[in-house]
Amino acid sequence: MKENELVEILRGCAARKLPELDGLLGILRTTEGAAPYVFHHCEELAGLVLSPRYPLGGIVRVLQARYPKARLGVVVRACDLRGLVELAKRGQVAPDRLYLLAVACTPEEAQHCRCQRPVPNPTGWPQVEVLGSPAAAAEAHPLLVQNERLGLAERWAFWRQEFAKCIKCYGCRNICPECFCQACALEDPLWVERGILAPPFPTFHLVRAMHMASRCVGCRQCELSCPAHIPLTVLYELLRRDVAEMFGYQAGEDLSAQPPLSLSLTEETTPLPNP
Amino acid sequence: MDYRNILTVCPYCGAGCGLYLQMLDGEMVGVLPAKEHPVSQGKLCIKGWNAAAFLRHPDRLPRPLIRQGERFQEASWEEALRLVAEQFRRISSRYGPEALGFLASAKCTNEENYLMQKLARAGFKTNNVDHCARLCHAPTVAGLAAAFGSGAMTNSTPEFSQHTRCFLITGSNTTEGHPLIASHILKAKQQGAKLIVIDPRQVQIGRLADIYLCPQPGTDVAWLNGLMYVIITEGLADQQFIQTRTEGFDQLWEVVQQYPPDRVAQITGIPAAQLQTAARMYAQNKPAAIIYAMGITQHTTGTDNVKCIANLAMLTGNLGIAGAGVNPLRGQNNVQGACDMGALPNVYPAYQPVSAPEVKAKLEAAWQVEGLPEQIGLTVVEMIHAAGQGNLRAMYIMAENPLLSDPDIHDARQCLEQLEFLVVQDIFLSETAQLADVVLPGAAWAEKDGTFTATDRRIQRVRKALPPPGEAKADWEIICLLAQRLGLRGFDFAGPAQIMEEVARLAPSYGGVSYERLDREGFLQWPVPSPDHPGTPYLHKEKFTRGLGRFLPVHFQEAAELPDEEYPFILTTGRSIFQFHTGTMTRRSPKLEQEAPEPYIEIHPEDASRLGLKMPGKVRVISRRGQIELTTRFTEQIRPGVVFIPFHYAEAAANALTQAALDPVAKIPEYKVCAVRVEPIGQS
Repeated sequence: MKENELVEILRGCAARKLPELDGLLGILRTTEGAAPYVFHHCEELAGLVLSPRYPLGGIVRVLQARYPKARLGVVVRACDLRGLVELAKRGQVAPDRLYLLAVACTPEEAQHCRCQRPVPNPTGWPQVEVLGSPAAAAEAHPLLVQNERLGLAERWAFWRQEFAKCIKCYGCRNICPECFCQACALEDPLWVERGILAPPFPTFHLVRAMHMASRCVGCRQCELSCPAHIPLTVLYELLRRDVAEMFGYQAGEDLSAQPPLSLSLTEETTPLPNP
Repeated sequence: MDYRNILTVCPYCGAGCGLYLQMLDGEMVGVLPAKEHPVSQGKLCIKGWNAAAFLRHPDRLPRPLIRQGERFQEASWEEALRLVAEQFRRISSRYGPEALGFLASAKCTNEENYLMQKLARAGFKTNNVDHCARLCHAPTVAGLAAAFGSGAMTNSTPEFSQHTRCFLITGSNTTEGHPLIASHILKAKQQGAKLIVIDPRQVQIGRLADIYLCPQPGTDVAWLNGLMYVIITEGLADQQFIQTRTEGFDQLWEVVQQYPPDRVAQITGIPAAQLQTAARMYAQNKPAAIIYAMGITQHTTGTDNVKCIANLAMLTGNLGIAGAGVNPLRGQNNVQGACDMGALPNVYPAYQPVSAPEVKAKLEAAWQVEGLPEQIGLTVVEMIHAAGQGNLRAMYIMAENPLLSDPDIHDARQCLEQLEFLVVQDIFLSETAQLADVVLPGAAWAEKDGTFTATDRRIQRVRKALPPPGEAKADWEIICLLAQRLGLRGFDFAGPAQIMEEVARLAPSYGGVSYERLDREGFLQWPVPSPDHPGTPYLHKEKFTRGLGRFLPVHFQEAAELPDEEYPFILTTGRSIFQFHTGTMTRRSPKLEQEAPEPYIEIHPEDASRLGLKMPGKVRVISRRGQIELTTRFTEQIRPGVVFIPFHYAEAAANALTQAALDPVAKIPEYKVCAVRVEPIGQS
């Protein structure tokens, strides 16, 4: 299915659903450009589009904090849905008041993003409608394949070179729908010396990478926001594979599965399996 | 639940990045990068992400202030504007219009700058109007206008990632000063483009380069002539371009032949073989773009440096094609626009000379006034000196902070104190505003409509998202109110869109600009002479603005103040990515301030150990003009014998040390070279 056909189907569903909702979060295109917007009226839906993609999960968090009782609709892709699942597990969004219109990405889009999971998987999400036809998983990023073949020293050298370009905009964190901490370790001089460009290697990027383990859902927003073109999704995908291998956990796939690195100090915790 | 995004332009550097202000129920809740913006492409630097952080700072000025002795008293707009009008009228009639000075602002919109120069010229009949472009790219405007006929960046930022095969970057700390322009360069590098960086400091972009050369500060003409020597003698010059598109090659060769690599090495410290490699790389990878900033212009030889750069680009035929060119990166969000609007003492909007009778007649008719002044007015630094000598009696300063940005600020302060009357219009009580008789509270970038023109001649809309605090008003509105109080005609505008209509009628290169088009098309790049003209991504295609490109050969001259026994170091000044200029905005933005809260000096470890310095430790830095104290940072990314201090910090102002030695043509001060001494404090 082509994107324009999909958009028509989406507008139809949105028009049907909108009267039951207090608002629908999606992308509005006007003559000035396209950006996130909360739709209230069916007449506005002529401007509802699917791209460019913006990190809607973070916006849902802000909207629900201000309007905890509102019934909010959100137009999501597979990765947005996974992101909302992880946010829900961490108490950042309330799934029972979120109605999702989940759009499957087209094969071209999946290929463009090198997405391994382009089809929305609503396991456990209370209210969700899936639109579009499933596309196959894309081939892995060539850099991912290359990284897996590299020895430790070469991998280290590769990432050192990539991170030397970093201009410390914090864009990877700012745009990330899963980054919601009030106090961020990246700004703490205990971990990362301040005011240095490029930021100290490897602490800045590896501290962030560790914090993304079991959280990153591969939406690519970080990489697309990086002025230095650092292939961050490759780094986080490697980490996601480790988490899957060590803990059998896939971020964003199942609302009821507990993330392994979110520990509760009041409940008994399961020790790590022996290597 | 009213959630929407307002598209606007970042208020910091001249890259002109697009960003969205996220609004929830009329309140700003965040910034989002604009994914489809041709320059920023969904990315921002740390300042862009924090561009809204200072808007609701408690230091914002909500009401006009009038000086009462040593203190300020809040006043109504009525009282404040009446006082300004009375004093300006009195001083003008008593001492003549030449006793008034006006500083426009590279932070304000095109519409506001247009009105400021109109107020000076039509209202008070003086050309004493200038702004901080004088302190950054005045040599660019002078040098490139002489060589090509137009003083602006020849090419466009997006071309760098689409077309450029080689970059020669000099005097530009691109990843810190213009991060999103650097983004295009890094993209090109990833795609195989070559990168040459020539700079006394091995800044981040220099560490990423294929070739990095480290000249002694103030020797740019020598190594630029050296590059041309190599290119000509090795037969790498573009003969066809030289023959068909340029004039003056023979005169160029007469000069350049005196700069063989061995001699250049003696002057600059760049080894001959490295110079040759760089020359070949630049000449053999086309299109090649030269990118430069303050490291080229802020010298007593600034205009000469720019002429050499123009010569080098013409020599290799790197003009009039996509991805090539001479690309001065302009420092402020709207410094290009403020120049375009005629906020300069020698030109009306679109660089129409004040001395040309036909231009004068055209403007007099349009503005319905008589007797517009033909004599070129005073520049920023000249105005300050004239104030000190009693020739300038009153100044109106809009959103500039010369008491931190001008050279030799102790002297600048004494001069401004001599004024009979000083008005400062700003969003904060800056160092300069603290000296004022009347302070008028302006609206910040997100609190008004207008346009900014980015470094690549890209005219873009800024949009109002929030009301200004208290009774503060947009600068265009304040100027109109004052003009009306002075009884001047031609200042009753309904809004910025209407002001732009007047600009489009009078400024030929903006002839096709309208808000309707900008809203629809996103941006327009001048020259855009008519409503059906698509705009101009790169200049000088097929023909230079002046016809033939003109080679302007220049000989090397030493900097005005060189190190000696008493002051053995060369001080060079510049920016940090985390702060901006005099810090009025960034130092009130917590996430920026926390990264670099303290003034520092960069010094080579060899020098530091010879002087017995510690890191972290405190030093005193002394020049013939003043002294400051700051923290040490040792770095091998600077030449021994050279030290670097960022100029953002009032508590240790680098410009207490710098000198007001001026380029004879462009009148820019030599911020990049002065002699200093470094002494440890509190160490035995």
